[in-house]
Amino acid sequence: MPKRRSHFIKKFLIFISFIGSIFLLSGCWDRWETNDIAIVTATAIDKKGDNQIELSLQIFIPKAFGMSSSPSGGAGGGAVKELTFVISQKGVNMADALSKLQAELPRKIFWGQCKVFIFGEKIAKEGIQDHLDFLLRHPQPRERAYMFVSKGKAKHILELQSRLERSSAETMRELVDLEIGLKVTLKDLNEMLTSEAQAAALPYLKTMTEKGKKKSFQFPKIFGSAVIKKDQMVGYISQRETRGILWIRDEIKSYTVTFEPEEKKGNISLNPVTAKVDLIPQINGVNWSMLVKIQTEGTVIQNNSSLDTSNLSNLKVVEKAFQDGIRKRVEFVIEKVQNELRADILGFAKEFHREYPKQWRKVENRWDEVFPKVKIKYDIKAHIRKEGYINKPMKFRIEEEKE
Amino acid sequence: MKTVKISSLQMAMLMYPTIVATAILSVPNLTATYANQDLWISPIFASIIGFLTVFISVRLHKLYPEKTVIQFSEQIIGRIPGKILGLAFLFFYIQSTGGITRSYAEFIVSSFLFQTPIIVVIVSMVLLCAFAVYGGLEVLGRITQVLFPLFFVPLFLLIILLSPEYEFSNIFPILERGLLPPIKGAVVPGGWFSEFFITIFLLPFLADKKKGSKYGILTVFAVMITLVVVNLIVLFILGNTTSSKTYPLMNISRYISIADFFENLESVTMAIWILGTFVKISVFFYVVVLGTAQWLNIEDYRPLVWPIGILIVEFSFWAVPSSMAFIHYEITAFPFYSVTIQTIIPLFLLGIAFFRNKNRNRNKKKETNSVYK
Repeated sequence: MPKRRSHFIKKFLIFISFIGSIFLLSGCWDRWETNDIAIVTATAIDKKGDNQIELSLQIFIPKAFGMSSSPSGGAGGGAVKELTFVISQKGVNMADALSKLQAELPRKIFWGQCKVFIFGEKIAKEGIQDHLDFLLRHPQPRERAYMFVSKGKAKHILELQSRLERSSAETMRELVDLEIGLKVTLKDLNEMLTSEAQAAALPYLKTMTEKGKKKSFQFPKIFGSAVIKKDQMVGYISQRETRGILWIRDEIKSYTVTFEPEEKKGNISLNPVTAKVDLIPQINGVNWSMLVKIQTEGTVIQNNSSLDTSNLSNLKVVEKAFQDGIRKRVEFVIEKVQNELRADILGFAKEFHREYPKQWRKVENRWDEVFPKVKIKYDIKAHIRKEGYINKPMKFRIEEEKE
Repeated sequence: MKTVKISSLQMAMLMYPTIVATAILSVPNLTATYANQDLWISPIFASIIGFLTVFISVRLHKLYPEKTVIQFSEQIIGRIPGKILGLAFLFFYIQSTGGITRSYAEFIVSSFLFQTPIIVVIVSMVLLCAFAVYGGLEVLGRITQVLFPLFFVPLFLLIILLSPEYEFSNIFPILERGLLPPIKGAVVPGGWFSEFFITIFLLPFLADKKKGSKYGILTVFAVMITLVVVNLIVLFILGNTTSSKTYPLMNISRYISIADFFENLESVTMAIWILGTFVKISVFFYVVVLGTAQWLNIEDYRPLVWPIGILIVEFSFWAVPSSMAFIHYEITAFPFYSVTIQTIIPLFLLGIAFFRNKNRNRNKKKETNSVYK
């Protein structure tokens, strides 16, 4: 009898524990339905007043997305409904401003899809590390988010509309993905600022205005790069100079090179251009130098010069011009980075550290002084391998036929 | 004890997650703190402790084939000192289990279940492990056999999916400041490699005893390779920022982005971690329960599962006040504590046992000789 009873109690206890575990399985405390979260698509950080910041979030409106995709919805008849809205709040730091923003939103702020962070120029000049601390410490923001600096207020960029993409944030993300300019993720920025050189370059955004017949349209455009040293933005380099940096960092992709061969009127354009770039550091006693070795190849996409590239002696002239063109681009930016900005955004410090760890340790603390003195040598080999679907320039044919 | 048998492959599959699970998440930053870009060399040095521990464990097992350390330490150094030593072992394993449970829960609460009270995470895991332990070693061995591919394959997948992001030159300069920094970095993982002493609790139950030492050494080797590879991929991606991250593997697994839609794979890391920790806690739990039963001379360990389960939950709270304190403990105290209990004391035990046996054999020889005289 007692045996049977204990058997029953045992069964009962097992039953109870199974029932009990049902409550644990659902994970109730952290139940987050998609209609409970406000998805942040982009974030802007601006300076406000003396010691405060203004945090602006671009938030996705799921309701509007559903409406615009269905043909019957939307009374506007062809009018594009905005899919995002922007809210902002000021605070002493990001976390403070964020808590105030949360008080205004009925849904919980969700960072997981935020792929764009923009710093206003003013705050970038003051220092960005304090804000990076939040972005890196908080478990939600992704390391793959792209970083930008904007001319003027960053909030303004979030408020812009987009014609092709869902939001201005998406536009910027796609622009960066094309790899025409710099591509800097949160992880890269963190890495660059803690690296030997402690300098980074971020894409610099400007608001452009296109005047239409009825009303003008504003859109964001990447316009060169902002140079950040240690913590603060110290300068700006133009789009042309940014391309030079891309060459040195071996990041050029989908990029057209146009140059003018000497004394031959007209330009030649190459696309695609592939390149292999090596930075070879050299130390000779006290002289530090860097050999920039570029091997590049291109395909002619347009030939407006008076040179027929199918003629091999002409080809040599063109290749020489190509080579000089690249050298000019690279020289131009190195000169500016070394002497004007004095910020090693090219990663020279890393190369020296890797190749000469012992010598590096001696200059580690005064790299700022050493960097401008590093001599640059060039070894550029440029070739043109293909000339496209036609050989001679078009205008040649016409002239030939006339004769 | 009833005739519980596991295969030596099952033992290897139990041991591998037991070491890797905790190490994999935090080892890159702990080693990078000392070794910087040489962090991948540290596990190689640390594995020496692993090989040594397995060697000691197998040797002790050969001297006392049917017994665990709790039982034979009484034979080696006498009843009372043996009991005291057994208590020290038990205390170490209970405390470690508490610590592991806590660090598991801290990770879950700080990265996924932000609102969930930590006690719920801890209790549900300990409850699950208690069921597994209650089932016995055979059950544990078979669960692991099922779970092992789920543990290993995602890890492998992670390595492949991240490959477009690798920057191999992050590895240079190799051995910038000589061998000392990687050796310093090896101290913490050394503490984990020392946990291979747990094999002493599994070896008596092997069906194929001859393969025991072979699989033990193979497991140490596999763990070493895994840690080297994990450290390398973290280095290739995070570079010099590795030491500043709390969970580097999390950071890199979210960095995966393939074709714009295959992203945000941190849940893979979470899955690996939970599976691994489940095995790890179960193995430790089993060791504690079995050890306690043997220490108290109880035939069946099952009645002890629930009370000790509660004790483990308590220890997970008593262990540390905060996650920072836990990392501090892991760097400063744990390696030395762990190596002392699990490698150095067993080494002494082995030494004493060895000389005793020699003496006994000599005495026996003398006796036999005298008989013939």
